[in-house]
Amino acid sequence: MAAHFDTEYQRLEASYSDSPTGEENLLVHVPDGNKSPWHHIENLDLFFQRVYNLHQKNGFTCMLLGEVFELVQLLFVVGFTVFLANCVDYDILFANKFVNHTDSSKVTLPDAFLPVDVCSASIRDNVAVMFVLMISGVFWLHRLIKFIYNVCCYWEIRSFYTNALKMSMAELPYFTWQEVQARIVEIQKEHQICIHKKELTELDIYHRILRFKNYMVAMVNKSLLPVRFRPPLLGESVFYTRGLKYNFELIFFWGPGSLFESEWSLKPQYKRGGNRLELADKLASRILWIGIANLLLCPVVLVWQILYAFFSYTEVIKREPGSLGARCWSLYGRCYLRHFNELDHELMSRLSKGYKASSRYMNCFLSPLLTVVAKNVAFFAGSLLAVLIALTIYDEDVLAVEHVLSSITLLGVCITVCRSFIPDKHLVYCPEQLLRLILAHIHYMPDHWQGNAHRYETRDQFSQLFQYKAVFILEELTSPLVTPFILIFSLRRKSLEIIDFFRNFTVEVVGVGDTCSFAQMDIRQHGHPAWMSEGKTEASIYQQAEDGKTELSLMHFAITNPQWQPPTETTHFISQLKERVQRETTGDRQTLTSLSGSEPRSLIANFLAGPPSLASLHLGRDGSLTDHGPVGVSDGASALRSLSVSSTRGSCSSTHRSAGHASSASRAMPGSSTDARTASSGSSVWEGQLTSLVLSEYASTEMSIHALYIHELHKQQSGGELSRHTWHRQDSDDSSDSVTEEGGSGGGNPNPRNPIPRSHTFPISTPISTPGPIPSSNSGPNPDRGTTPGQEVTPLQSNSQRRSGGNTDSVGPGGRVVRSVRVPMGGWAEDGRGGRHPDTVPEEGSEDDMPPNTHKVFTQTHTDLVFVYGVPYHCFPLSSGDVTDLRDPTYLPTLILILPEKNFLLICELSTMASPLTPDG
Amino acid sequence: MNCRSEVLEVSVEGRQVDEAMLALLHTILLHRSTGKFHYKKEGTYSIGTVGTQDIDCDYIDFSFVRVSSDELDRVIRKAVGEFKDAMGNGTDGMGQISLEFYQKKKSRWPFSDECIPWEVWSIKVNVVNLANEQERQICREKVGEKLGEKVINIVEVINQHEYLPKMPTQSEVDNVFDTSLKDVQPYLYKITFQITDTLGTSKTTWFCAY
Repeated sequence: MAAHFDTEYQRLEASYSDSPTGEENLLVHVPDGNKSPWHHIENLDLFFQRVYNLHQKNGFTCMLLGEVFELVQLLFVVGFTVFLANCVDYDILFANKFVNHTDSSKVTLPDAFLPVDVCSASIRDNVAVMFVLMISGVFWLHRLIKFIYNVCCYWEIRSFYTNALKMSMAELPYFTWQEVQARIVEIQKEHQICIHKKELTELDIYHRILRFKNYMVAMVNKSLLPVRFRPPLLGESVFYTRGLKYNFELIFFWGPGSLFESEWSLKPQYKRGGNRLELADKLASRILWIGIANLLLCPVVLVWQILYAFFSYTEVIKREPGSLGARCWSLYGRCYLRHFNELDHELMSRLSKGYKASSRYMNCFLSPLLTVVAKNVAFFAGSLLAVLIALTIYDEDVLAVEHVLSSITLLGVCITVCRSFIPDKHLVYCPEQLLRLILAHIHYMPDHWQGNAHRYETRDQFSQLFQYKAVFILEELTSPLVTPFILIFSLRRKSLEIIDFFRNFTVEVVGVGDTCSFAQMDIRQHGHPAWMSEGKTEASIYQQAEDGKTELSLMHFAITNPQWQPPTETTHFISQLKERVQRETTGDRQTLTSLSGSEPRSLIANFLAGPPSLASLHLGRDGSLTDHGPVGVSDGASALRSLSVSSTRGSCSSTHRSAGHASSASRAMPGSSTDARTASSGSSVWEGQLTSLVLSEYASTEMSIHALYIHELHKQQSGGELSRHTWHRQDSDDSSDSVTEEGGSGGGNPNPRNPIPRSHTFPISTPISTPGPIPSSNSGPNPDRGTTPGQEVTPLQSNSQRRSGGNTDSVGPGGRVVRSVRVPMGGWAEDGRGGRHPDTVPEEGSEDDMPPNTHKVFTQTHTDLVFVYGVPYHCFPLSSGDVTDLRDPTYLPTLILILPEKNFLLICELSTMASPLTPDG
Repeated sequence: MNCRSEVLEVSVEGRQVDEAMLALLHTILLHRSTGKFHYKKEGTYSIGTVGTQDIDCDYIDFSFVRVSSDELDRVIRKAVGEFKDAMGNGTDGMGQISLEFYQKKKSRWPFSDECIPWEVWSIKVNVVNLANEQERQICREKVGEKLGEKVINIVEVINQHEYLPKMPTQSEVDNVFDTSLKDVQPYLYKITFQITDTLGTSKTTWFCAY
């Protein structure tokens, strides 16, 4: 703010009249408003999503055109169908009826059309057609309004790109998302898009864009969503279609009465454990209604699906009939394979890279029986076709004979189909290596696949991720019929688990809002001991992400966003892992001595096809950078080459570091943050003047290496013993069984209504619904950024909770006896119902009235002190829940922490206004 | 979401409610008000002066500073009065007053102007019932102390240089400041409140925007 003094500073006359006394002795200000319309955007979630979408759709014009054509397509599909059904005289078309023309004998297409009046009359008479037309009219209008609204919104985003980010729409397709993101981060400093903090991190942006997707990924990871079924004849199968996904999202995230009250916050009642049963009932009835609505709308949706599939796929099938035999990544696969915080384009590029290897792998399993049949069918069909074609070449009148053209087409299709069953003679398949190559790209794989790559079960399970296109279309077509039943019969039963999931795995992050706690990628909270985070994780079994998802997601995010500064523990984890991988890849045997003895000597050598020969390493070092993709090369060599690329960069990084400074201006990020990270992680290979596109290619390779390494290490660690990570825990009951093995809490789950996997640590280890850890936003000393007391307290508090959550036999904050949770779970549901009386609200001294087996949960008064990081806190539980709910495994008492120095009262979100709150003194 | 929120919590006796609320609301508004802007040529402006005033509470051992603007005081008093009426004369009760600062954003034709909050202060009030005069006397002092702490709290929060709307040009001053008052110019704000009855089940949301 520019201020200049007209005169020397002097005291103003003591005057309470507000009018300026004299023109000459006034401070004059220059307003600084109106410079940027981009400060303080209200709905950052939507804003970032739109920014991302616009980038992915390659700019405004492309997007606009695409949407316009979509609208036109819709009109066309409906209009053309109605026209075909009502306005065409098929008799003329099939030449069953002759037209008497005056001038020529040729039948033209317009001859086959019925006159307009006949046509419209037949449409008007047909009630069903009118119904379809009306429905689609409403639908289309809805789409049109949405389109117009979108255009207005995206116009704003467009001007954001051009004015604030300084990227013109024409060059937008040539910017990577990472570049766009770096500019957004930079802009924040100037425009303050988000007002909570001075600086945005990459993770914040990802969190906002992927808020709901992260929840879905986590739910699939924890096998919460009912997508796996065991129909009588088909065996175990996965059913997850777009319609089903839409319904899930409708129920959880944005539909009327959903769990979220806005894009960024879960409704407060869902964060409290008190009335979870009622909420579950409510959710169940909502699911029922939505299921019924689905059932009612089923005919409409079905007709639409069929029409849409017909018009979008017939042309493709005619053009290349083999495409039905081609495969694609199933919707479930995309969810299962997705990392936390992975954007669509990152996932798609990863999966596309794995596509070739995957289809080669699937082709290994051609049935020999089918091959024999196919060979012979192809032979006969081929000879017929050859004769027909030869005859046609000789005299094209053959084509005029009835059905000759159609038989040629059919025979052609038949041969193409047959050929896809005949394996290529000159290829040798090694399923194990192929599977490893696939793993390098898809990053997730159940343990038992390794070593069983040649088995049919593995193939079947893999085909759930990687299905036939034909199956995909078929599933989409049947989806309207099946979805309502899945909702009504399958999802509804899980309502309590869903409520618990959202309560336990939601954290409130300052500046981001409520996010899925898995998406924080906090090793300590959600790490899995079998996946590299042994000793670092404090998560209970319920909290651990399966299949090493936390660890792999963390690595993936750190590698794709090298500028991201994770919290210190996480940085430690990343750098440790990177160092190990680096050591392995460089083959430096001497440094290996520092590794612990139990560790395999040369993991990389294990997972590569052969021992890493130095010659090939050197070859790779000066090999061309562009040809590092493993396509068409044998798995080992390609992996070696990509390895060597990264190791070359690593070894060069120190020498290039100074050079990198000079050229850092070309990068969007300030060099200082890069250096800080480089210093901390120690092995950042991304130095030098590489463009970000090259960077992202390297990043994917590096991630592949890490994924392979982590999997290999995991395999070595688990050492063949039966892992509890069965491929797709069919129902959560499975894992609860395995929990009993590990935790030793007796005999299964007596309550069929609530098959939550739980261990003895389960109940108290779920304290996440309060403002949780904020690794990205809050940690890291940032001197120029003041923290509000609330922000200051949160990490400490979550820490104390975590401490209470980690160990069973420890004493929780304030001496809370956590033994109570060993109470058998049986019949708690009934107790919960009985105990819902308000008079059992725990108050001071009421513990005598409690049932004996609750072990006096509230043994302390509100004046107890908890020492967290040496700072004393008053701590007292405050709950509107009732006593019997305390035995409920997921019960979480509310804690109030008071920071004495600050005199600040931090009330967790859980505390209801109705809770008895005594004046603290 | 894109908005700071601060929560203050006080426990007071029934008759202290309005004074406590006035004290806190006025303290916040004191720091969120400026003098009137007088725009001059070439887009510059000068700021008028703001007077302050000490107010002593009757039922609490406490005095606070407020902007000496009777108009503003009237507005706040009216809101607090409505809040107290809504709480009723019941002995126990919980309530919450929110003071929300927002700015307006002009939108293009199809949409109406957006009001985007940038800071929300929520004051949770817990009304306690006291048995005898002695307790009242203790409470009187205690609440005074508490309010003092809260005031320091507020000042601490305000002293952190967090986001504030940028100073507007003349045409935009209505989007940031409430220019309806003659002698003072607070940031645009609105006051809402929420009452929870003793059972804690039903919530009534009252709304008064200024």
